[in-house]
Amino acid sequence: MSTMSTNFVINASNLTLSYSDEDIIKDASFSVKKGEFVFITGPSGSGKSTLLKSFYGQLKPKSGTVVVGGLDMSDITEGKLQELRTHLGIIFQDYKLINEWTVKKNAVLPLMIAGYSVDVQNTQAERLLKHVRLSEYKDRYPLELSGGEQQRVGVARALAKNPFLILADEPTGNLDEYSSNVIWELMENACQQLEATVLVVTHKIPSMFSHRYRHFIIEHKGVYEVH
Amino acid sequence: MKFIRNHLAFIFPMMAILLGVEFFLVFDRTTNSYEKGLKEGYSMFVVTKKPFKVEEFKTLNKHISESLEIDKDRLASQISDGMSQSNAREILKELPYFYNLKLDGYLKSSALEGIKEDLMSSKDIKKVETFGNSYSDSYRLFTFIKFILNVFIIFMSLISLFLIIKQMEIWRYAHKERMQIMKVFGAPLMLRSGVLFRVALIDAIISSFLTSGAFLLLKYKLASDNHIEILTQKQNLLFQSSDFLILIVTSILIVLVSVSLVVFGNEE
Ligand SMILES: Nc1ncnc2c1ncn2[C@@H]1O[C@H](COP(=O)(O)OP(=O)(O)O)[C@@H](O)[C@H]1O
Ligand SMILES: [Mg+2]
Repeated sequence: MSTMSTNFVINASNLTLSYSDEDIIKDASFSVKKGEFVFITGPSGSGKSTLLKSFYGQLKPKSGTVVVGGLDMSDITEGKLQELRTHLGIIFQDYKLINEWTVKKNAVLPLMIAGYSVDVQNTQAERLLKHVRLSEYKDRYPLELSGGEQQRVGVARALAKNPFLILADEPTGNLDEYSSNVIWELMENACQQLEATVLVVTHKIPSMFSHRYRHFIIEHKGVYEVH
Repeated sequence: MKFIRNHLAFIFPMMAILLGVEFFLVFDRTTNSYEKGLKEGYSMFVVTKKPFKVEEFKTLNKHISESLEIDKDRLASQISDGMSQSNAREILKELPYFYNLKLDGYLKSSALEGIKEDLMSSKDIKKVETFGNSYSDSYRLFTFIKFILNVFIIFMSLISLFLIIKQMEIWRYAHKERMQIMKVFGAPLMLRSGVLFRVALIDAIISSFLTSGAFLLLKYKLASDNHIEILTQKQNLLFQSSDFLILIVTSILIVLVSVSLVVFGNEE
């Protein structure tokens, strides 16, 4: 919509977010450029998930604006929002897999939503599960996998439709160090090889990444750039 | 076990509605044939001064479909017994003409009175007997039973529809998580609620088959085994193949309405 949209994947100005009277985020202004890898940290309950929700349209701004992929989230229509979401890759701390579905089916949910044929879904499932090194588990159900393996399914699903923006909410929050490192590798790869913009909310930035990428912190309802 | 209970909680009320629909169809057909019987058995008695053709009656009132002249010869021969030929001929000429009139449908007694008035407006018609009382008694009983049955069917259907929607709510709750996940990834409402439509449609079709099966059993087995004459005589009225189509269509409509109510009603 605006000329800025070519440079910025996310552009927030004076963004205020709240669920009720009390503001969670207040007057925050920041932007994320195309192809960047960005960390957001902050204490528990500071509003990290809330901020992320405003990026995928789960929460409308109370005031100010946030533009994602050229779309103003304040007055986006239901149809446009659905369209936008099919170009995002969202990863949750608790994986949010559909437990009645096989690993394979979960991984290609975005392709199913986009209406691709079962053939395409199957070949893409092979590719995605190979990428996250879960090929031999394709016919298992999520609850038959370890946490780290479930999250790799979550990453596969997020990557399924080549998203321009990946939003990850504490993706390693429930994982041990080894599993976490696998996830971090996949995230970095998504940014460097797949050219997606990656925005990760996390408690603690892994040591292998320290100071290599931009880092925002949420404090006293504001969003500040650390470096 | 829980799975079966869940489905029965949908199938039973659905069957209750379908049984109601089928009862309505059967009753409608039976009453139609009974109505036809009443109509055919009924006739109006008319006395006229001159001979009437059926067309002449029809111009007086269009509901008259047939006229039957009552043969006077036997009456005449009794009267003329022991009279001279010429006297008898004289009397016979003075005798009025008697007709039984048939109507084209089953009418209320007030409508019968209307026909009587129309007929009496002709100066050549001396007397009309409608036999209105016995006729309207059976008519009233008949419409009353029909009315009670319809009220009962509607009442039962409403309660069943309520139960169906309740069960839908339970299913929606069971699939809430999945529907939310799909929503985050941009799935449109129809795709998200597809699972509800699928489950409900399968159960609706099962219900239609069970209901049809129950009536077919009644038609071909129970009715003849128990020698229920009314049922065996009018066997064809009990369940017709077109009924199956009606049941399927009804159940699918109910599914569409109830799923839509639950899904659209709960969109945040
Ligand atoms: N759906 C909600 N309704 C109302 N308040 C909420 C909701 N989700 C989160 N909150 C509140 O908003 C604040 C920030 O929550 P959240 O963004 O989840 O924090 P974080 O992800 O940083 O731990 C918390 O005080 C939390 O209680
Ligand atoms: Mg959180």
